[in-house]
Amino acid sequence: MNKSCSSVSTVLEKYFDQEVTDEEKFFVEGHLQGCPACRDALKSMEELRTLMKVPVEEAVQKEDFPWVWQKIEREIRLQDKRTWWQSLRSWLDVTPLFRRKVWIPAVATAVVLLFFSTQTIFKKTPSYPDGSVVEYVQSQTDNVMVYQLEDPKVTVIWLFESPEEERTTT
Amino acid sequence: MKEIFDKYHKKVYSIAYGVVRQREEALDVVQDVFIKLFRSIKNFKGRSHFYTYLYRMVMNTAIDHKRKAGKQFMSSLDVEGSFEPSDEPEKGPEKVLLQKELEERVKLAMDKLPAEQKAALIFRDVEGLSYQEMAEAMGCSIGTVMSRLHYGRKRMQESLKDYVNLPGQSLGASTVSER
Repeated sequence: MNKSCSSVSTVLEKYFDQEVTDEEKFFVEGHLQGCPACRDALKSMEELRTLMKVPVEEAVQKEDFPWVWQKIEREIRLQDKRTWWQSLRSWLDVTPLFRRKVWIPAVATAVVLLFFSTQTIFKKTPSYPDGSVVEYVQSQTDNVMVYQLEDPKVTVIWLFESPEEERTTT
Repeated sequence: MKEIFDKYHKKVYSIAYGVVRQREEALDVVQDVFIKLFRSIKNFKGRSHFYTYLYRMVMNTAIDHKRKAGKQFMSSLDVEGSFEPSDEPEKGPEKVLLQKELEERVKLAMDKLPAEQKAALIFRDVEGLSYQEMAEAMGCSIGTVMSRLHYGRKRMQESLKDYVNLPGQSLGASTVSER
């Protein structure tokens, strides 16, 4: 290792990883020609890379992947057949708003509002019974009109004594 | 989904195998990754390259698997349990044994690395990603990538000094700072 090795060491790994500029490449290669220590450093990195890489490449070559895809496909199909309740739960799980349980007071408020609005909408409004004129008698002095209601059973008799005065008898 | 599998399954497997160094576990990682991808692909916004998004997912899943497996099994048990009969008859039994031992030493050395350094070494030395691609996949700067690579290699060389021809000038001479 000579003096200039320290200046090369900063770019030696970049050179090994093929990330140097043309200028750096020229500089490192020039240095390597006269420096066995840096050549060894480079060789050491190469050996390490081989140790890590070769077993992985061999494992990939040995593997039979179609059955792996079959397993994945089966699992994906199973997930597609989830019930609506499971889908809803998973949706709630992935939605940040619902993950924070903000939905509990929101749902409670909605239920209360729904309750009161239903009360208002379906509130029984008094309806006027559909009365029917049973009889209407008209004369020169008095007029009489008789109403008969079904529920409650009430008969209303209107007596018009004169155009100005009216008297009701039940 | 099948197209994505066809295009990337080998890459996914090699990253997974690089981390866990065990066939069944690596296959479990592959399966988990593609199922996760199926669920989450709609969240991919295209801000980064798809493969860096996928590689990050593989790395995280594999490291999680490794962490869980580490809690379940003693490393020494794993050494004996992971032996698989060789299907390479051309290699003599002694050579096969030596190779297995070496692979095991590499695995143990990698297990000792912090997750970020391990990821950096696999992305670069196994997968051949560029610094830029690594930075994207790991969500850090290129400087951090270089630092992780440097310290990862240094630790690996120390752990494997019986197997790697250590030079007079070690990687320790570099001035890259740890991040």
